[in-house]
Amino acid sequence: MTAQPLRRPKRRESLRVLSGSRFRKRPTLAPWMIMVLIGVIAFLGLGFARTSLDRSAFELDGLNRSIAEQEALNEQLRLEIARLENPARVAPLAEEMGLVIPGDTRQLLVDLGGPAVVSVEEGETQ
Amino acid sequence: MAGGKSATRPSKARIAVIGLFLAAAWLGLAVRLFQVQVVQAADLADQGLDQRLVTRDLAPQRGKVFDRNGELLAMTVEAQSIWANPGQIEEPLWVAQQVGGLLGVNSDALLERLTSDRDFVYLKRQVEPGVAEQIAALEVRGLYAHPEATRIYPAGAVASHVTGFVDIDGNGQEGLEYFYDEELRGVPGKAVFERDLEGRIIPQGISDIVPAVPGTDLNTTIDLPLQYQSQQACLSALDTTGARSCWVVVLDVETGGILAMAGAPVFDPQTRQTVDEDCDVTVDPTCHAFSNFIVRGIYEPGSTQKLITVSAAIEEGEVKAGTVIPEVADRLELREEACRSADDNLFGCYEDFEEHETANMTVADIFTQSSNVGTILVAEKLGQERLISYIEGFGLGTPTGVDYSVEAPGTLNFEAGCETCWASAAIGYSVAATPLQMAAAYASIGNDGTWTAPHIVASKTDVDGNEDVTGLETRRVVSEETARLMQELLANVVAEGTGQAASVAGYRVGGKTGTANKLGEDGRYTEATRASFVGMAPMDDPQVVVAVLIDEPAFKFRTGGASAAPVFAQVMEQALHRLGVTPDAGTG
Repeated sequence: MTAQPLRRPKRRESLRVLSGSRFRKRPTLAPWMIMVLIGVIAFLGLGFARTSLDRSAFELDGLNRSIAEQEALNEQLRLEIARLENPARVAPLAEEMGLVIPGDTRQLLVDLGGPAVVSVEEGETQ
Repeated sequence: MAGGKSATRPSKARIAVIGLFLAAAWLGLAVRLFQVQVVQAADLADQGLDQRLVTRDLAPQRGKVFDRNGELLAMTVEAQSIWANPGQIEEPLWVAQQVGGLLGVNSDALLERLTSDRDFVYLKRQVEPGVAEQIAALEVRGLYAHPEATRIYPAGAVASHVTGFVDIDGNGQEGLEYFYDEELRGVPGKAVFERDLEGRIIPQGISDIVPAVPGTDLNTTIDLPLQYQSQQACLSALDTTGARSCWVVVLDVETGGILAMAGAPVFDPQTRQTVDEDCDVTVDPTCHAFSNFIVRGIYEPGSTQKLITVSAAIEEGEVKAGTVIPEVADRLELREEACRSADDNLFGCYEDFEEHETANMTVADIFTQSSNVGTILVAEKLGQERLISYIEGFGLGTPTGVDYSVEAPGTLNFEAGCETCWASAAIGYSVAATPLQMAAAYASIGNDGTWTAPHIVASKTDVDGNEDVTGLETRRVVSEETARLMQELLANVVAEGTGQAASVAGYRVGGKTGTANKLGEDGRYTEATRASFVGMAPMDDPQVVVAVLIDEPAFKFRTGGASAAPVFAQVMEQALHRLGVTPDAGTG
């Protein structure tokens, strides 16, 4: 085993007080950068929110208009149905097609033990 | 160096001047800024807001009118009104020709409007959107369209006498539209908003909207198919009998609901014009058909009035159906020489429609054969006071209270000192009633003696869906026994009396004919008649009353039995079918 010389530990300089004139603060940009960044983000965020709101408002307006148009269309269709169902329109068409208003039906009420209940058109022979 | 010093002096002076000038400018700006931002701030802000703010009235949607099956009778849709700024029209003649064809307006009339010196002229209001699109496609400078609500009647002329109509501005003018105008109209709203230069709404701007409240919907008792059949029956009757007009009303006996109320000639509520090519109001002012005679017209009911006279006598215990009235002649003089006088103004002569031998007749026979003389003899037992009280009890002389515009009350002519008025009233003269009053009187017999106020609207539905059901107004006019007895007498009239043409196969029908001469302009009776028939079915439990009135039929059809009874049969048959009433008789 070979002997090794001990290294002398390096002495630290003792702490000393610097005078004010010699002390120079290093500029700390980080907080400013953060503040600016926050400002920019807030600005962009607000701008984005505003445009989103505006876009939503336009979309809402468009939807409302679309609803109104659909409702108007719905009313027009209801009107068309009502016009098509008007008896003054249907009756002549039905007549043209050979349909007639039902004649009198004579209802025969019979005993339970008898033949089944029948409905006979007026004028028809049994 | 001296030269250099002298060179800097003027530049400093110039700088000073410029500085002063700039300072003055800044000061001026500051003053102006202060003036604008502080002194005038409020006024200027208001002016700006005024430019951007728009206030618009929001028109409420007028309520719809439905029949008893939910079919639409009236509704409001959006249409386009076409207008022009004549100053901007470059070729008015070409525009008048093009647009006139599309709008169906005379091009000469359009040209006159297009060349006027006004800034705004309507070319046509409330046209269909498709027509407006065709006009827009012409791309004519100076032609514009704006949306406007328009009232549509999908059933057209079929229900015109029920719905009535509105004017071009949507104000009720006739019928249900007039009577329920306030409820149908709704409450207008208001919208306040900011808009940009191009008229678009500014999002996030001021926006204050008070929405319009739509009008109340009316659910009527009208049955549209029956209404159509009634109208067709009337139109057919006009062709057959050559009458001036025909009116039909169908009542639900139990509720008093009006199932149909039709007349001919008819009018189109959309155009507000009579659908009758022969009608020229400049020639005959009475031919226009807007006025609903069923509610507003009064007539002397003639023999249909005998129901009230005989009911009253039976109810008061003066007679029974089998009571024999002795020596009933075919002529009766309540004033001496009244029947032999040439003076038509000398009242007091009463004659039966047909001559017959003097005979003893039961009350039932008198009613079935519609004997005027016999009925007067029955009424004599009752006396004038009691007769009047029953006539009033059955609803004559006062409005029924039906929910229709301007109902006529009718008249009871019992002047003090009039010796013959009671006799005239007993057989349907000296009183004047509306067809609806007569229908309601008969319905009270059908309803076992209880009179029910007729009505058209069964319920009203507001925008929140709340339903307001119409209450029934009833009163007893005669006992159930009297009513049942009268029902049988009415059935006899159709089975073997003057109303045989009113029979409906499969059903027992009861009713009474009426034929009354019309009063002329000189106050004397003319040969022209008003023929009527009022009846009910089925007689084992009456559910429907139909009243028919035909004005001035040709001589051949002058009686109620000849002209009104067949129309009654036609309408009653349809009514019984529509209501699904089980047949109660094997006739046919």
